[in-house]
Amino acid sequence: MMNAFRELFMASFKDMVRERMNLFWFLGFPILFIFLFGTIFSSGGNVKYDVGLAYDSEGPLVHEISAGLGAVPAFTLHTGTLDEELAMLKKGKRRLVVEVPSISLPSIGSPQSIRSLQSTGFLQSGEVGGPIKISVYYDQSHQITSQVLLPVARQVLDEVERRITGRPRVFEVVAEPVQRAKLSDIDFLLPGILAMALMQLGLFGSLRVVSLREQKILKSLGATPLPRGWLIGAEVAIRILMAMVQACAIIAIGQAVFNVNIIGSWFSILGSVFLGAVTFVSMGYMLVSFARTEESGQGIIQLVQFPMMFLSGIFFSVEIMPSFLRPVVTAMPLTYLGDLLRQVMVGAPPIYSISTDLLVLCSWTIVTLVLAARLWKWE
Amino acid sequence: MDLNAVVVSGLRKVYGSVKAVDNLDLRVESGQVFGMLGPNGAGKTTTVEILVGLRSRDAGEVSIMGLDPAKQAREVKSRIGVQLQTHGLYPRLTVRELVCLFASFYKNPLPPDEVIERVGLTAKARTIVKALSGGQVQRLAVALAMVNDAELVFLDEPTTGLDPQARRGLWDVIRHMREQGKTVFLTTHYMEEAERLCDTVAIVDHGKIIAQGPPSSLIIEHFQEQAVEFSNFMAADRERLELLPGVTRTRFDGDRATLYTRDIPRTIAGLMELAEGNGVTIGDVTVRRSTLEDVFLKLTGRRIREE
Repeated sequence: MMNAFRELFMASFKDMVRERMNLFWFLGFPILFIFLFGTIFSSGGNVKYDVGLAYDSEGPLVHEISAGLGAVPAFTLHTGTLDEELAMLKKGKRRLVVEVPSISLPSIGSPQSIRSLQSTGFLQSGEVGGPIKISVYYDQSHQITSQVLLPVARQVLDEVERRITGRPRVFEVVAEPVQRAKLSDIDFLLPGILAMALMQLGLFGSLRVVSLREQKILKSLGATPLPRGWLIGAEVAIRILMAMVQACAIIAIGQAVFNVNIIGSWFSILGSVFLGAVTFVSMGYMLVSFARTEESGQGIIQLVQFPMMFLSGIFFSVEIMPSFLRPVVTAMPLTYLGDLLRQVMVGAPPIYSISTDLLVLCSWTIVTLVLAARLWKWE
Repeated sequence: MDLNAVVVSGLRKVYGSVKAVDNLDLRVESGQVFGMLGPNGAGKTTTVEILVGLRSRDAGEVSIMGLDPAKQAREVKSRIGVQLQTHGLYPRLTVRELVCLFASFYKNPLPPDEVIERVGLTAKARTIVKALSGGQVQRLAVALAMVNDAELVFLDEPTTGLDPQARRGLWDVIRHMREQGKTVFLTTHYMEEAERLCDTVAIVDHGKIIAQGPPSSLIIEHFQEQAVEFSNFMAADRERLELLPGVTRTRFDGDRATLYTRDIPRTIAGLMELAEGNGVTIGDVTVRRSTLEDVFLKLTGRRIREE
């Protein structure tokens, strides 16, 4: 009889993969997602901001500031007159324009002359007695400019000032990364994409039993001595096998193409994938138990999977969700699967402890499985 | 071994206010081809689905080779072959893959290729179900009912939707099963099929059996007459047609008249005389013996297929 189960498994599997659309949804779609997200977010590491340096005549101050700004890796420096550079800013081709005032003192340029400048109090007070005004123009509509680039520019100018004035440093910032592995956006996203793929496989995959029922295939098989539960059992086994294949494909692409650093063991990763697949397959069966036709089942599942995809924190941080949504977010199994996979795959900092994740996922599985068994109708 | 493969008494199944099966009794002897004959909605499919253990019954006793399908469903299913009227097969599996799949469900299946050959699908063995014609799918469903090599095979309207040639091919398959000593429980709404194929026929209407027996004795029991059919009679002649020598009953159906008679030569002679006297040319005259269709008509007042 075990032979019959294997035959049933193979038969249903063949029937499914011979439909090209099924293959696309199960393998093509998540892979498409990785490439889409991967190319968007992995380029985030070497984004360049165009910074304009405007001056009328070159001089030592221009050299100093130019060297200071040029040393920032994220800046691409352009030079020109103020009018030219402001025009570029308005066109959106510059993020910042730094205006260096003309100082008609040909003598600055050597350390001595700077020191002499300093002793005359020129750099402190300027020609009219105040500090030299260095205007930094920016486009207010770009949030990132005011929040990130302005402080960087200010810091660069402070550093230039410190060097010119020879004022000693009190603090020195030494960057010391504390994470086990350096995490980029794609490292965070890959486990999320895997979690999403598992959810879709489980939820949408369960529509197949409704379709088998609608096509009278369950009925025809029901007239054979095959135990009825095996019909569902074979479908569940297929889903879990597919989940494993899908997980391996997603992880392999993440590693090979986007250099995602997978630190977890295969055992813990595939164990988490297995649990995630079981959770969403059970949930899917519970949902389709409410449906009479494949079409209505599709509607019910859309209704559940769509909010879950966006609210569970697999793509957006839970912190940015409005507080009235928090209870919804913390109830969703996808939130916990995403957290679990991020922890075991890339060693991301936990939102919940791993045991909480496991407990929540197991509870969801048991509850939905019991409901599915109660609600499911064979005809 | 039990002399009766199937024994049913007092079977009842109610859906809401509809009595799908209403106090039905029947007995199928082993080794027979048994035909359940009746119009659509007569309760044939419901009866079959109860007998094969797919549906529960509301009342009555059922014995399938000594087993009760309500209590020993798996045991019953493992000893029979079933072709359901509304069957469903994986659309993207080939004929051979499906026969092999079903073969794996039984202890002593027939070799898949032999079964495929028997229903004439050898050339299509590697074709997927989706690409088969309706008739080919129907034959495949019969093949799946045969693969268990069961003593008792249920075929629910196996020839519906088949062209005449494919229907005859399937009759040969069923005759072959009988030659092997198998019992075949068949439902149909084709009179001709029941008459040619079945050892015993039960005529059902509205969930009840209204006549049961071998087709020839059913016909003789209800009709000792033969039938003369012709068209283009005159309505005014109806009464005179009924008074023709030998005529026992008449039936008028649109333009066409049927006279049931015990004395063909005298009835025809009288008919000709009547037509000549009226100056009417009657057309399309056929003389035939009575059929199950006539029996059904007599018993229910309706034709079995009301198209």
